[in-house]
Amino acid sequence: MAKKTKQIAIYGKGGIGKSTTTSNISAALVEAGYKVMQFGCDPKADSTNTLRGGEYIPSVLELLHADSRVDAHDAIFEGFGGVYCVEAGGPQPGVGCAGRGIISAVQLLKQQDIFEELDLDFVIFDVLGDVVCGGFAVPIREGIAEHVFTISSSDFMAIYAANNLFRGIQTYSKKGGALLGGVIANSINADYQREIIDDFVDRTATQVIEYVPRSVTVTQSELSGRTTIEAAPHSEQAKLYRRLAARIANHTQSKTPTPLDQYQLRAWSAAWADRLIAAEQRREHEAKVA
Amino acid sequence: MAINLKSPAVATREQRLGTLIGWDGELSSLAQADARGCSSGCGGGQKLCEISGPFSQSSGCAEQTVQYEATQVRGAVLISHSPIGCSAGMASQNASYRYCQIKRGQQVEDVVALSTNLGERDMVYGGVEPLRAAIRLAAERHKPRVIFISTACSTGIIGDDVDSVARETQEEVGVPVVPVHCEGFRSKHWSTGFDAIQHAVLRHIVRKPTRRQADLINIFVLSGPDVYSPLLEQIGLRANLVLNGCEVENIEQLSEAAASTSFCYSLSSYLGAALEQEYGVIDLKSPPPYGFAGADIWLRDIGKVTGREAAVETLIEREHARVRPRIAELKAKLQGLRVFLGMGEGFAHGLIAVLGELGVNVVGALNFHHDIIYDGVDKQDITIAHLLKHYGDVKPFSVANGQPHRFAALLHQVKPDLVIVRHGVLNALSSRLGIPTMPLEGDSTLPFGYQGMINIGEELLSQLSQRRFHKSLAAHVRLPYRKEWLASQTQGEPLLERVA
Repeated sequence: MAKKTKQIAIYGKGGIGKSTTTSNISAALVEAGYKVMQFGCDPKADSTNTLRGGEYIPSVLELLHADSRVDAHDAIFEGFGGVYCVEAGGPQPGVGCAGRGIISAVQLLKQQDIFEELDLDFVIFDVLGDVVCGGFAVPIREGIAEHVFTISSSDFMAIYAANNLFRGIQTYSKKGGALLGGVIANSINADYQREIIDDFVDRTATQVIEYVPRSVTVTQSELSGRTTIEAAPHSEQAKLYRRLAARIANHTQSKTPTPLDQYQLRAWSAAWADRLIAAEQRREHEAKVA
Repeated sequence: MAINLKSPAVATREQRLGTLIGWDGELSSLAQADARGCSSGCGGGQKLCEISGPFSQSSGCAEQTVQYEATQVRGAVLISHSPIGCSAGMASQNASYRYCQIKRGQQVEDVVALSTNLGERDMVYGGVEPLRAAIRLAAERHKPRVIFISTACSTGIIGDDVDSVARETQEEVGVPVVPVHCEGFRSKHWSTGFDAIQHAVLRHIVRKPTRRQADLINIFVLSGPDVYSPLLEQIGLRANLVLNGCEVENIEQLSEAAASTSFCYSLSSYLGAALEQEYGVIDLKSPPPYGFAGADIWLRDIGKVTGREAAVETLIEREHARVRPRIAELKAKLQGLRVFLGMGEGFAHGLIAVLGELGVNVVGALNFHHDIIYDGVDKQDITIAHLLKHYGDVKPFSVANGQPHRFAALLHQVKPDLVIVRHGVLNALSSRLGIPTMPLEGDSTLPFGYQGMINIGEELLSQLSQRRFHKSLAAHVRLPYRKEWLASQTQGEPLLERVA
């Protein structure tokens, strides 16, 4: 009897550092001896690039486009430390249906029982942006991921995307879908950024799993086509990613969040704006007095 | 590939069986190609070069097949979770259902089918609420034994979570609510619909076996009378006919039977293989029960797994003695008749055997699709090799998904005395070409077993007596095919482009 594979989905607004963080988590987990698959659910098909030296791999949908009969093994490529890399792929911008693409790609791997066959410890779905349609909700529906983490900075738009995801989770939570593990707070360098995220997680009944500061090491590693774990294994940032990976590996209890509705969200962000402006004015005033 | 019942949606035939809908050659060369790959070097291994044409699909889809099968279960309600147009075929589903019930002596009822009638708004906001309402309405109004939900292209694209709604409402309505994933765009051939509904009943209705019923044989059927029980009762066995015209109980007990078999592997190789894999119900690996050779082996295999070898031999002897005199008379009248077949693959294989026994020459066949392999059983062994061994080659043997222009070209090339067609469209064309045409519609059991040879022989004689009808028709219609085009087809030019 194969062990139970822990399936995790990581969502977040585009450009927030989702693939960077996910790839570092995957790299840290394989380094710790786990068998891991990273499944990129983004039409750009670049989730796993830094696990493969900056190289693109053919996506499941590209293979399905070329031949209706696809052996799922042909879509799986080994990356850093033996991590299995898969990209769902999808249509070029402006055409087709990227959501259906995710459904088709996930179905193909499930039908061929790949997760069990590879005896995986972790499958990590790296999913694009908001939950905009049924297709992007596939990883949080029953039978796919059990735990969802969202990556967010303290920017209002990133929090808006996280809140949207919480609404998706709430919808499916009554139907045996995935629950929320917490927020990975990214690009957190200032105290007020931390306060914003803390306040948001309080109001939505969830938690911050890790605060990840913006770091030049990450950028340097990315530019060399590698994860920080691979390129700068002894850096502070790598240690932080390892701690994050360990927290995710040990995480067992996920919960249903209490997302804000759109009016609450607007009022909340307006209140924060007032607070930040007031703080700024106070600082200017103190500078003048001094 | 092993059958995976954990996934809500069945893997398509293209994925599992290498199914294609365009190929030209002979039965013998198809057998070679299946085993080793075709001459253009595609290498076999369940891959074959497919002829690609401008009309890659000219018939139904998997959703239609599922709607057909789901409505034929007694006490079932089907909810088509789709725009209303997807339910356009309901009248013919009803005709088939009523015919089947009359032939089996059942109380005749109409199919009960609802549609969520999705519109623009539902495509934008999701269609699960109309679905939930339809399930409740179906339960309240019709008191069904089971509710099937067929999905559609539209609901597949917007990603409606049909499984969750089914699970939630099942508790509420107290009968199985069975989602069947059959988006037409997933597969180019409708037969994926057979697999989709079999996959769904395996996941949601077939029970974990509570006992083994050693005298029960699962037989996977389509519409038509129960010709199986009278035969099996003679050797002390019961036939569990599934899905057409069956009760929910018949589906539930599939896991408890001694063995499974069918008259058509195109229909049922998935269900047979899955029951063997999941519950150890032996999936009989016999040729389909057509002609003396097929029927004899089929019965002997049933005898072998149920310990009734001697009884089967007596039955075979009795049946041979009963039908041989009449078959000899029919053979005398039909010997040398040149017949062309246009039908699904399973039926074509069956008819080649039946006609072979009647001394009729099968001078060509057009199949609606071709599965390179089957789930579970060895296709080469039990169908094509069996036919080649007993009845010789068939040439031309073409795979074309009901394409009228290819059918016309083949008939022009072969010039048969008579055409047998199963499933509309094509029979109208051959009739208009002035060729006597025998539609094999409605009753799927007509060619089955020993009696099947007599049935087909007599039907042929009846059709041949109406030659003039077809001649008159041909004299009064014009077809769109130019003489030069038809002439070019006889010179062996490829009909369409061949692609790897």
